Amino acid sequence: MSTRRLFDIDGRTERYRSILRENWFTYLLIMPVLLFLIVLMWLPFLQGIYMSFNEWPFGGDPTWIGAANYEFLLNWEPFYTSLKATAIFSLTTVFQLGVALAAALAVRELRRGKSFVSAAFLLSYTMPPLVIGTIWAYLLEPDFGPVFGYLTELNVLEETIYWGSSGPMSLAVVMFVTTWTFWPFMFLIISASLESIPEELYESARMYGAGPVQTFLRVTLPQLKSAILVALSIRIIWNMTKISQVLQLTNGGPGYDTSILAVLLYQFAYERGQMGISYAIGIILLVMTLGFVFVFIREFERASEGAGA
Amino acid sequence: MSTTGYDATGVTLKATAYGVVAFLVLGNLVPFLFILSVSFMPPSEFFTDPHLVPYEPTLEAWTSGFEELRGNLVNSFLIGAGTALLALAITIPGAYAFARKEFYGKTAGFYAIISAMMFPYILLVIPIMDLWTALGVYNTIFGMILAYQVFVTPFSIWILRDFFENLPTDIEEAAQVYGCTQFTAFVRVILPLAAPGIVAVGFLAFLTGWNDFLFANLLTTGTGPVPAVPVLYGTIGGGSGERVYWGKLMAETLIIGTPPTIIYLVARNYLESAFSV
Repeated sequence: MSTRRLFDIDGRTERYRSILRENWFTYLLIMPVLLFLIVLMWLPFLQGIYMSFNEWPFGGDPTWIGAANYEFLLNWEPFYTSLKATAIFSLTTVFQLGVALAAALAVRELRRGKSFVSAAFLLSYTMPPLVIGTIWAYLLEPDFGPVFGYLTELNVLEETIYWGSSGPMSLAVVMFVTTWTFWPFMFLIISASLESIPEELYESARMYGAGPVQTFLRVTLPQLKSAILVALSIRIIWNMTKISQVLQLTNGGPGYDTSILAVLLYQFAYERGQMGISYAIGIILLVMTLGFVFVFIREFERASEGAGA
Repeated sequence: MSTTGYDATGVTLKATAYGVVAFLVLGNLVPFLFILSVSFMPPSEFFTDPHLVPYEPTLEAWTSGFEELRGNLVNSFLIGAGTALLALAITIPGAYAFARKEFYGKTAGFYAIISAMMFPYILLVIPIMDLWTALGVYNTIFGMILAYQVFVTPFSIWILRDFFENLPTDIEEAAQVYGCTQFTAFVRVILPLAAPGIVAVGFLAFLTGWNDFLFANLLTTGTGPVPAVPVLYGTIGGGSGERVYWGKLMAETLIIGTPPTIIYLVARNYLESAFSV
């Protein structure tokens, strides 16, 4: 039995060797990417996991403290405020999807001007998010920003709203700006997928007497499913980790009301220099997003199979 | 009767579609128009009632904004261009292998790379700060270019693989029949055919380097090669409490925001074909 297994292993290494011999050039081709990702992603990530079990001041020497960083977080009231803010904030992805879907379906109906319209849509996405955040920080400035200026001038509001001092309103503003900035990404993916739905499907739907709502639910939506899920899972993670706009609009405040986990992480690392706690927050964030990675891979596979067939 | 009913819904649909498009186009363009107008206002003017056309337009905000950002814009450009070149150099061979070769571990390798797209990048910043300090590339342009490869390589592999995959299968063999080696077949035949994909990836990588805030802010300090985006953040963020000259700030947002937009408009067709999942 044991000799047989040994023999087997021998056969296996032999097989590996021949695989390598035949394909060495191919492996050489993919080597740079793999190497880069290992050095740039996996090594820092592993170091980070180690970091989260240490007290690690920026630029200083680590001290092993076990799970104390995690314990600190779980017993720290603002951490739960932050979790709640993260959960609410992640709804921005749903809003982005809603706007993108409506836009993609509407643009499809246009006879001309499609190119101008989608260029106008993508304006907000091509600029740096921080630039867009700066623009909205001005537009929504309570004292002399034009939005509240016009609203009070037209008597829609009696007086301007100092949204920065209210938690829910700050969160709403941050979510609005994030949605405004990033929905075109989903629009790109969804409208590309919409274009590729074969016209015959619509014709047969029409022949069987399906109304527009039915056609949408039975033909369009199923065909878009993979694209939507890919876009959703990418976007939900990217939204949760893009922090520039939150930082510049509210800086996580008032209190911790808009400190989504990524912002909390940033504050611990950059403002307090407590890298260990910062990374512990990161690990918690990672665990929360992990499920979406699997959705992404499954749907990606499905979409590329569909494209290949 | 049923046909008229159908037409009525058809008309409503069309009307809704045009309504949605009009609403979104205005919603996107009006803020930018406003910013454009503010950037031409002298400081005294935007503390008065809001108005769209400046009373006394001036170029002062633009010239002083440009003056302030000149060095940073050069840094941004170098970082963007470097990111694009390095990304292409390391992902073209890899994407080619994933598209046109059969080898052991192909699927697993591909997803190991692609799923990196889903990694919360903010998690990498902290260890990378530490690592870069140790390696001596902290606060250098090269360090930034290196760091952006994490963002850029996964989607580059994805887009380029699709491009290489869609080329006709026997094309290299045909080239080899005419006397090319495997390598020259790749350079002379495959690369030119995949040019749209390569252009798209190059532009996207450039935009990543130009647009990013996180690494740009954390991997540089005031003495180093700071790109333009963190400078903008410095003016408004952190609640510095100083009175902000909004006109100049808005001119600066447009100065930083225009190059990516131009690039996008130039590269649009490439990019759109790249995004079809």
